[in-house]
Amino acid sequence: MLTLRKAEERGQTRLDWLTSYHTFSFGGYSDPRHMGFRALRVLNDDRVAPGGGFGAHGHRDMEILSYVLEGGLAHRDSMGEKHVLGPNEVQVMSAGTGVIHGEFNASSTEPTHFLQIWIIPSAEDLEPSYQQFAYAPGEKLGALRLLAGPDRITDRPAAVIHQDAKVYAARLRPAEPIEYSIGSGRHVWVQCAVGEIDVNGLRLKEGDGLAVSEEPGLTLGGGSRDGELLLFDLA
Amino acid sequence: MSDVNVLVVFYSRSGRTERLALAAGLGAIQARANLRLRRLADLATPAMIEASPTWKETLIRMNRDYVAPRPADPAWADVIVLATPAESSVEVEGYCDVLRSTGTTAGKVAAPIAAGMNETILRALYGAAACAGMIVAPVRPDSGDDIAAAREHGRVVVEMARALKRAGAGP
Repeated sequence: MLTLRKAEERGQTRLDWLTSYHTFSFGGYSDPRHMGFRALRVLNDDRVAPGGGFGAHGHRDMEILSYVLEGGLAHRDSMGEKHVLGPNEVQVMSAGTGVIHGEFNASSTEPTHFLQIWIIPSAEDLEPSYQQFAYAPGEKLGALRLLAGPDRITDRPAAVIHQDAKVYAARLRPAEPIEYSIGSGRHVWVQCAVGEIDVNGLRLKEGDGLAVSEEPGLTLGGGSRDGELLLFDLA
Repeated sequence: MSDVNVLVVFYSRSGRTERLALAAGLGAIQARANLRLRRLADLATPAMIEASPTWKETLIRMNRDYVAPRPADPAWADVIVLATPAESSVEVEGYCDVLRSTGTTAGKVAAPIAAGMNETILRALYGAAACAGMIVAPVRPDSGDDIAAAREHGRVVVEMARALKRAGAGP
């Protein structure tokens, strides 16, 4: 079963420094039909104006993944972490017992475009932690590059999250489809981050999301042009 | 969504009181409260700020990280933490303005904390909070670790507000 969440039907927040689209209920946007998918609770598509950003605020019991598509995101938190995140990097903050952080466009001249994802952890009161790593852009070209999962892997960097969930990124071309096998009882969310993506013959444009349940697998490819996706494999 | 809302109001130039405020805020988060952090605006002239490179540099960052208290903030809050510098006089009036900015503070919990446990400052804040009809939380005994004490204070005042709400006596 494939259920499309169209980009234009998402919730919105517009401020002088922020344009944010909410795939699921978030902040002032609340829709009981869209409270998340499995453990995936928040998927925000944020464009932050130069110099703008989210001031100091707190989180608890949430796995927070940031994925920059354009520009840079400056991060500072109560654990003492202070970093700038760019494209082809991944940041995961496990809020656990509590974290206060702020995040800002790292540039005073260029906009930042990033996705922020919240995944509900499998346990509460975990020790807060911060992970960030970079990967080569070619690693996600025509392939699903694992960004985060429940197990520590050693062959290449990926973030560990406290949930039975795997997060992948891929940049796909139109005529070069790839296959993804879905385990029994598993569910998948596909988010088209950039361009166009075809999923089992269904075309997703930028900002569209697709809930997948009771399907054995997916054929993923670019649409009429290249596309970049995030894929969440969820219990 | 949590059942207790905590507003942390602070004034800081060098970042010392900001660290206290963040610690209290983190304690509140640990106690599963909702949190708003607000910094009082500087009363100093631009020339005074410009004369201190540390102040100026910290101010640029803090102006990005925090907004000043808004009238809706104390109305939203069940607990108002007031974190003040050790050496402060004019700023105290700013905290009192926050308490006066809404008529709905009666029954809420006020939790003053001061860098260095400055009694003169704390007494002024106690008086202002009590006159606003608030329930004033006592400071924790000086343990020699301001940050740990502020974090614990943040946790305790959330539990205090939660207990008051359960008893039907709180905000």
